[in-house]
Amino acid sequence: MWLFGLIITSLEQGLVFGIMALGVYITFKVLDFPDLTVDGSFPLGAAVASIMIFNGGNPFLALCLATAAGIAAGCITGFLNTRGKITGLLASILTMTALYSINLRIMGRANVTLLNAKTIFTYIEEWGVPYKWVFITLFVIAAFLIKVLLDCFLKTQIGFALRATGDNPEMARANGINTDTMKILGLSLSNGLVALSGALVAQYQGFADIGMGIGTIVAGLASVIIGEMMLGERSICMATFATLMGSFIYRLSIGIALRLGFAATDLKLLTTVLVIIALSTPKIRNLLRSTSSTASS
Amino acid sequence: MLELKGITKIFNAGTVNENIVLRDINLKVDEGDFISIIGSNGAGKSTLLNVIAGVYPADRGTILLDGRDITRVPEHERARFIGRVFQDPMKGTAPSMTIEENLAIAYCRNARRTLKWGLNNKLREEFRQKLAETGLGLENRLNYKVKLLSGGQRQALTLIIATMVKPKLLLLDEHTAALDPSTARLINNLTEKIVLHKGITTLMITHNMEHAIKMGNRLIMMDKGQIILDIKDSDKTSLTVNELVGMFEQAAHRKFDEDRAMLRVSSS
Repeated sequence: MWLFGLIITSLEQGLVFGIMALGVYITFKVLDFPDLTVDGSFPLGAAVASIMIFNGGNPFLALCLATAAGIAAGCITGFLNTRGKITGLLASILTMTALYSINLRIMGRANVTLLNAKTIFTYIEEWGVPYKWVFITLFVIAAFLIKVLLDCFLKTQIGFALRATGDNPEMARANGINTDTMKILGLSLSNGLVALSGALVAQYQGFADIGMGIGTIVAGLASVIIGEMMLGERSICMATFATLMGSFIYRLSIGIALRLGFAATDLKLLTTVLVIIALSTPKIRNLLRSTSSTASS
Repeated sequence: MLELKGITKIFNAGTVNENIVLRDINLKVDEGDFISIIGSNGAGKSTLLNVIAGVYPADRGTILLDGRDITRVPEHERARFIGRVFQDPMKGTAPSMTIEENLAIAYCRNARRTLKWGLNNKLREEFRQKLAETGLGLENRLNYKVKLLSGGQRQALTLIIATMVKPKLLLLDEHTAALDPSTARLINNLTEKIVLHKGITTLMITHNMEHAIKMGNRLIMMDKGQIILDIKDSDKTSLTVNELVGMFEQAAHRKFDEDRAMLRVSSS
């Protein structure tokens, strides 16, 4: 029975953090932009939503505002990179660092608890969904709706322009695409999703904390890479599904690790090791294959 | 239609590495001209095309296209009316995207991109016909990723991408130099077919003197950042490689040294 519980919890977490992973997919895979803004925009979404809900605001409106805040954060990284000519990595680190102070300002303290507040889940429960299924219902709908919308977007004319910008910026410009605008667009979209995910996670776990963003990018990358390893990236539809799947597997392995007796504080280290294994496995496999083939010949 | 007035381009201006790549270039290109450009390494040929395309700004001078001053227009906006094919077959296509997606990007070159579907069956049919004309067998591989194609196939695709929406100007920067001789011939034939059929004004850099003489209606030779020869129409038709070498020596005031000049005399 504990296994069933573990799988359900991992599914819930995998899907809600999967929305964040889809955001990371946009920058990491589509735009080829190393965006660390997410470590700041994830708690930004959580901060905006939780402080609104804490003060009795509408949780649906809170989700919208949290997403908007994430979009703004992505925009800033984009402007720093394209107009300020700061390299992508550094631009995103600058935004991330600035967001730490901003998040503290928004929350007014290091954490906000939502224990007795009326969250989005309270509403869903009032609509007649049994408490046990509230989270999974919302997360399945939200994650897959966003996945499908993202798939569709990447097949539009603007979506093609965004992908070309990441794939070959020179070709994109030679075909009249403003690659700067596309970068800003991609970063905004990505961080909008990350902040939305943060806002949902805060309500799911019942609090927002200033430190909850640490390691977000690594978790996002882990999801994208694990998914890619398992299902490949034949099409966009498949790649986004793989990202959600990777997010689930990632949360499941964390759950198992905890069950095996690792402390929660060890998880960042475990995650990093997991990402390193996932990133280097194809190379190690190739290496083994080539050494065994030279040995046999 | 294209007019360059006093174009000068200096790299690393004000430093010990200062390099004047283009010196006061004046050039008037007529509608429908197909100009081949030759010259030794460092003559400024590629820089000339890059300045026209807006990759980097000219330090002095103006560029007029159809009477409009485009000197300060950014690269991606010029791309709406200037098509380009590069020497490196990797440069002109998006490798992780499919053939049809690459073509769809080119299809929107001149239009405002919207949230409409990038592809539909009508477009696919149009692309299939365009690809069939090249005779490379790409028409049945619309949903192949471009990274699976050979260099020659990619260059052919880039040529179609660059001319999908008829550009006012087509810039070819040694677009066959990285290909083997038979593929180069195929791409040259395709180039002539598209350029002449559509009547596209074209500037083509080549290292091959025979191609330069055979293709196009006008030949320009550059040396040390200047245009030293400009041969047109009937004068060009009767031109031979030996005559061209002689003209180079007279205009450049030095011996034609094949190694130094990197100009291939034979068509290999």
